[in-house]
Parts: sequence; structure tokens; C-alpha cells
Amino acid sequence: MNERPTVRVAQMRFFPAFIACVTVLLASPGARASVANDAVRTDVGGIDVVALRTSVQDVVNVVGSLPAGDDRSPTGDVMLATLTGAMLDKGTTAQDKFAIAQRLGGVGATLSFSVETNTLEIRGRCLRKDLPMLIDLMAEQLRIPAFSEQEFEKLKVQLEGAIRQQQQDTVFRAGDAFSRAIYPVGHPNRQPTAEQMLADMGNTTIAEVRQFHEKYYGPTGMRLVIVGDVDPVAAQAEVRKAFSGWTGGSLPPAAMSADAAAEARTETIFMADKTSVSVVLGQATRLRFSDPDSLALRLGTRIFGSGFAGRLMANVRDKEGLTYGIGAFLSGDSFTDGDWRIQAAFAPALLDKGLASTRRQLDAWHAEGVTDAELARAKSELAGTYQVGLATSAGMAGTILAMLNRGMPLEFVNEYPARVKAITRAEVNGAIRKHLDPATMTLVKAGTVGTAGAPAAKATPPASE
Amino acid sequence: MVVSLTVGPVPTQAADTPASVPGFKYVRTVGSISEYTLEGNGLTVLLMPDRSAPVVTFMVTYMVGSRNEVTGTTGATHLLEHLMFKGSDAFNDGKGNSVKQYLETVGGNYNATTWLDRTNYYAVVGKEFLEGYVAIEADRMRNLWLREEDRQREMTVVRNEFEQGENDPHQALDVEINAAAITAHPYHHSTIGWRSDIENVPIEKLRAFYDTFYWPNNATVSVIGDFEPAAVLNLIKKYYGPFPRSPRPIQTIYTAEPEQQGERRVTLRRAGELGIVGIAYKSVAGSDADFPALNMLGTILGSGKTSRFYKALTDTNLTLSATASAGFFHDPQLFQVYAFLAPGVEHSQVEKVVLEEIERIKKDGVTDAEVATALGKYKAATAYGRDGTFSIAGNLNESIAAGDWTLYYTVDDATAKVTAADIKRVANKYLDVKKSTTGWFIPVPPEAAGAAK
Repeated sequence: MNERPTVRVAQMRFFPAFIACVTVLLASPGARASVANDAVRTDVGGIDVVALRTSVQDVVNVVGSLPAGDDRSPTGDVMLATLTGAMLDKGTTAQDKFAIAQRLGGVGATLSFSVETNTLEIRGRCLRKDLPMLIDLMAEQLRIPAFSEQEFEKLKVQLEGAIRQQQQDTVFRAGDAFSRAIYPVGHPNRQPTAEQMLADMGNTTIAEVRQFHEKYYGPTGMRLVIVGDVDPVAAQAEVRKAFSGWTGGSLPPAAMSADAAAEARTETIFMADKTSVSVVLGQATRLRFSDPDSLALRLGTRIFGSGFAGRLMANVRDKEGLTYGIGAFLSGDSFTDGDWRIQAAFAPALLDKGLASTRRQLDAWHAEGVTDAELARAKSELAGTYQVGLATSAGMAGTILAMLNRGMPLEFVNEYPARVKAITRAEVNGAIRKHLDPATMTLVKAGTVGTAGAPAAKATPPASE
Repeated sequence: MVVSLTVGPVPTQAADTPASVPGFKYVRTVGSISEYTLEGNGLTVLLMPDRSAPVVTFMVTYMVGSRNEVTGTTGATHLLEHLMFKGSDAFNDGKGNSVKQYLETVGGNYNATTWLDRTNYYAVVGKEFLEGYVAIEADRMRNLWLREEDRQREMTVVRNEFEQGENDPHQALDVEINAAAITAHPYHHSTIGWRSDIENVPIEKLRAFYDTFYWPNNATVSVIGDFEPAAVLNLIKKYYGPFPRSPRPIQTIYTAEPEQQGERRVTLRRAGELGIVGIAYKSVAGSDADFPALNMLGTILGSGKTSRFYKALTDTNLTLSATASAGFFHDPQLFQVYAFLAPGVEHSQVEKVVLEEIERIKKDGVTDAEVATALGKYKAATAYGRDGTFSIAGNLNESIAAGDWTLYYTVDDATAKVTAADIKRVANKYLDVKKSTTGWFIPVPPEAAGAAK
């Protein structure tokens, strides 16, 4: 269970977590006969359910999603989806939140809901014997939340605190501002400001929450992935029983695109008393995960910005000692067009040197591309990473869900490794040059830099709000 | 750096029959883990076969952490850990076979961490890649370059790690509370060290650290996963066998923290949004018989919606969250409470409620139902800790660091026997306000902090 309320946040997936997710997909076909063949996939009353037994003993992981994310919140009520999702664990019409917490906590099970940009995410974990109870409680919380007025007012205070806490975090602030600098108004990846969230939240009513729940919550568009020490057929029967008679829901909205900026821009966010400056440098890509060039660009980005042997860490950190952490990745491209970004942190005194070094690496990578040796090593690494990744079931569940949410068939898990293996150097370097342009990238710095209250060079948003 | 404790799982499968390999002395088997000693140099080896996936976690734990540091060398253990990736004559970037190049080529999940009592280096690899990693890992035990030019470059990297930690008010407050609560014992300073020490520690002192602590008889090798015990013991002998024992006995820490005779307070004021209240009480070592009851007390006070703090603080909108936990370390450390204030709430109000909740347990105890719930959470966490060889290694590592790897199992047994009376007793024994240190993070409005610059 989440101790803190969920809150809508910018797409700030820090790069190691991103790597872990992607590398299980970028993998060797020989490492496992077939995840797709071992998994059982069924439509259960409109819910897309995938169940997979792995070698872990006694533990079951459940992840799920339904298209009731922040992109469903109307203009002027940007917190509506988040408030609705955060009310799910505040009690149901059948029992209060403490009774639910006691049932889960008494057996060490966890069940949480969080609202992301495009989806409501569901995460659960329990011992094998407790899976029926976990699925029952999940269904109850999704279907008949109490939506108590008293809990709603408490939640608003908690969310205000969470929003204000985020404002202390340089990493969050840099990514948050970056989203507004590169995405136009109306694009789901563009995050509202803290001021807008607080103002809108003050006006949201519990009646609006009930209406939102009625409109967007239901089996249509919902996915559940159950992985671990589980009998797939029995698990699906539990889902069928728990969700029987539930109707409604919706399919994800149409994807939106965002043009890359025409010229380079810089934005500085002054934050007092910070000893490290967080930096984001990047651009919108006009690419979705499922687009043809996406895989080649991902592979090239991996060579550039992943791991200690990647170009950024090997040079900016290892050779020049300018940062503790730097990486590059693609983001926000599952449901709609996303972005490419470098994320780093520098001491204020080393910021200029760090940025100069980063840009040198970026320019060289963009101009010259990756080498055959780098590409061969990346492919070898991915084969090994797949094998290692299969050793845990927790990550596997999330990976399968992420792939389905990207619009890929389950079989794609098997096809994916072969596709990676077949990618040529020319395809990688072509994708880098076609979709990225270092000369027009947007730079955001957050920390004790610039001047308080007077941003050094405020970016002009792509469209006015 | 590893911060949290999830105590280890119950045996996942029966241990293999002890292997007999010349040069190794079989010591004992507890649960699924068998212990051996490489007789020539005193290296301890722990083997836990688990053939559920074709991967192996290989980890070496050195019994050196920030508790081995003194003024002028704080942070040295951690800086040395970074320099362990800079290469040797045999394995380095120039040759294309450094530890990171090798492990990233074979897709290994690898890293190193430093904490109060230990430093560990590990990789999770496909079993066919194990020997290549063992060769590199063993080599850097005694053949590291340790060059001044590497120290200079890595110093700024580590300093940026320090700076990133300092960005977070909670971490900064934690450093302040620890330093005030613990005055004599080296747990006084944080593992990352003081900034001036990070910047100035000379390479000679790092070399002295390396030559004092990086020896087989101060290390434990743990291997978990898909392997044959005899084969892996031969592999370890091949690569670690050539190293001798340390020329001198490994230094021991004899400084004990004097008894605290009165409450202490610290305040941290800087730019921020929301306040934090932290209270630290003197606690016990991880191997102490009272640790399991203190651990359960932490769960009852601060874990989940069923906890006392949730009901008294978070559900009343005094805090966004509140936690309580007992540190699991080699020497006595702290039982710490942290409460993260909701907007507009006074520190004194939250501190008062925290203390009232603690007093309530000291006076009235906890219910059997609360104990059962805490045990349920503990047992489930134990099972979750079995999801992958790396998770097992991470938990085993902390038991090794606490001074006895069998704590990995024995803490489970002891936890299952904890009663409500035990929890009331340890609450009264350890949560003594006269032995507490309270810290407040008081946020200065960002605009005021900015204007003051």
C-alpha cells in the first residue's frame, strides 16, 4: 500500500530503471524458449489478462493498467484523474480503509494504485495462497470505492503536501520544466505547473470524482498481468469471479504528436540552498515506441547513454570526473509521441564544464554515429541481460504490461530479440541523425544557479497557455 | 549505499551435500547455505545453490566500512570502492577487459556498495560468464592500481554524489541527527564522509586502507545460483588461492559509545517546503537478542495503514508519512523515527503526538493482533526476498556485515517468537527520552533563502 498519496508527476524515469525495463525486451532469443508460449492470455469479461508461471517460489506479482490517467483530466481540472485514483484505497462501500489494510497487511500482501500520464497503474504482491484475496480486494476497490467526502478532504491536504515536496527536488523540477518546454499545450506529456495543480485541486468536488469514475473505470481497456508462483488458469478464474458483471471503461485516446523545437532554448530554475544542479537536455522525437525507427534509436541511445561503459559515463564521469551520474534515454512514447533526453547532475562550479563535455559527446555521437564494435557489444550485452532479467518475476510482470501498453502483441517478446540482432549500424546511425538534432535541443537547469526570482533565460513554450 | 534491512528468507531448498575440495575446510551448513574456509589464506566462502534460473550472483564482502574511518579519512572506504573500478595491470580499460567492460559485454548486473560496516562488490551473470568475473574480482583484491590521477578524477565524482545527497533535506537531517546522537563511535559520521575529507584525503591514506583491509582473511565470498559446489570452490581456489593472509591481524574497533545522559536536539534550516521531525534512540547491534523485538516495534509503529503512526499522524493530516525502524548493524546504532509534516503543521505538534504514541506502547503495550500483523508482513517480506539470487545476496550481505552470516536465518526464528510482552519490554528499555536525539528540519521559504544569497 502506498504510504504517500500518488500525485501526477512529469515523465522523470531515472535512467537505471529505464534500462532495467527495456533490456528484458532487448534480448536473446536463446535465453528462454518463449515467454509468449508459456504465458496464458485470455479476455476475461473485457479485461485482457496474461498469466505466467515462473521459477520463484510462493510469490505472485500482479500489475495492471486501465486508461484512466492524467490525460483524461479535463482542462481546468488537471487533478481529477489523480484524485480519483488516489481515492481507491480510502475505503469501499463494503469496508473501510483500515479493514482493507488489515486484510492485506496481516499476510504481508501489498496492493497500490497510482495515476500516471496515460493510465491508472495497479501493483500487487502476495504469497501464492493469498492471490484470491488480493484479486478480490483489487476488484472491490476498483468497482465500489466509497468516495467519502471526509476522506476526499484529507486526501487534498496530503496531495498538496506531496506537490510541495516535489518542489524541493532538483531532479523533479528539471524534468517537469522540460516537459512544458518541449510539449505543446494539450499534449499528455506536458505537465501542469504546481500552481495550476494546487489551484485546480481546490475546486474539484467529490461529485466530479464520482462522474470520472463512472465514465472511465471498467473492463474495457484494462489489462492485468500475473507472474510468479501461479496456476495461470486458476488465476484467470479468480479474475473472472471477482470482476463478474463489471461493465464500462474506455479505450486509450488517440495518440498526439509534438514537433521538435526549431531552435535551441535554455531555461534555468533557481532553487536556493542546493549543492547539485540537475540538468535535462533533449527534444521531442515525434516517435512512438512502435514506430519503425524507434528500436534502432533505442539501441544507439543505449550505446551512448547507458551503463558505466556507455559513452556519457565513460567520458563525462570516468575520464573527466564531472558528475556522479549521467545517462540518456527515450521517454513517454508508449501511448503517444515521446522525447529523447540526457539527464545529469553537476556541482554548480562544474556545471559549465560538465555541459560542455556532455555536448562534445553528443555532437560526436550524432555526427559520427556508433561503431561496429560498440554495436556488437551492445547486442552481446543485451543477450546476457535478458538471461539475468529472467531470474526475477517482479520485473517480468512490468515488462509484459509495458509491451502490451505499447500496442505490441505478446508474441513480440519473442520476436524482439531477433529484431535487435538484425539491426545494422547504418540503421542506428540513420535513426540518430534523422530524429535528433543537438543544435535545436532544449536545456533545463534546476538548482542554485542563475538568480532567485529572475530566470536567466526562460524558454518560450511551443504554444501559449 | 544500502540503507534498509529486509531480513533474509527461509531456506528455499535443501542445501547440497557439502563438497570436498582439497584446500578447503568445510565449516557448517545452516539453512541452504554451506560455509567453507580456504585454508591457505582464511577466505570465507558461502555457497547457496539455487538452480531455478541459469544465473549466478557472485559477491565479495570486505569487512571494512565507514566504522573503520577516523577524522581525516571519513569517506575513504567509499572513495576506495570507486577506485576499485579503475583497473590493474591485468584488467583495465586500455586492454578492453576492465570489470565494467567485461560485465557490460556479457550483460551482467553489477555494482558495489559501501555502508557502515562493510564494502561489497557483486555481479549477477549467466553461469557461463562466472569464471571471467571471478578472475577480475579476485585480481582487484590485491593488484589494484590506485593512482593519484584516478583519485583526482574520482574525487569530484564522489563529491557530486555527496552533493546530490545534500540536496535532500531528509538525508541532510539524518546526517545531523546521527552526528549528534553518536559522539565517540565512528557511526558518528555518514558513509559518504565529510566534504573536506572527500576532497583532501591523500592517495597514500587510501593505499593504507587498501593494504590494511583488502585481504582474503577479511573477506567473505558468497555464491548464489546455478552452480556445482565443487566446481565453484575450485574456481575460487584458482583465483583467490594465490593471495596470502594479511601480514598483520585485521584491526578491530574498540571504541564504545559512552552512555547518553540527557536528551539532545539539532536543527537544520535551509530552503524547502515542508518540515521533518526525526527522533533517534540508542539501540542495539543486529546480533543482539533484543533486535527482533525492536524490529517488530518499528513495524507496529510505522509500517502501513495498520500502524500506530498512520492512525495518529497521517490519517489526521499531521504528516504525509511517518516511519520507525531499528538499524541492523555490527555495533549498537539507532532506532529512528521520521515524520514528514503536512502543510501548515507545527513541528512541536507532531513531535508531541509521536512521543505520546511511544509512551502509550510503553505503558499499555501492543495487542496480539498487532504482533500477528507485523509477523505476517515480516514473513511475506522474507518470501519476497527470494525473488532472484541478487535479492538473496543483498540480505545475506547485511548479516555478514553484522558479524554473523547465520543471522540471515536466526533472526527469522527469533522474530517468529517475539511476543507482545517482548515489544513492551524493549520499548521501555530503549525508547528512553533521556537517550534520544531529536532533529527538526525547518524549511526556509525558497524566496527568503534566495534573497539571502
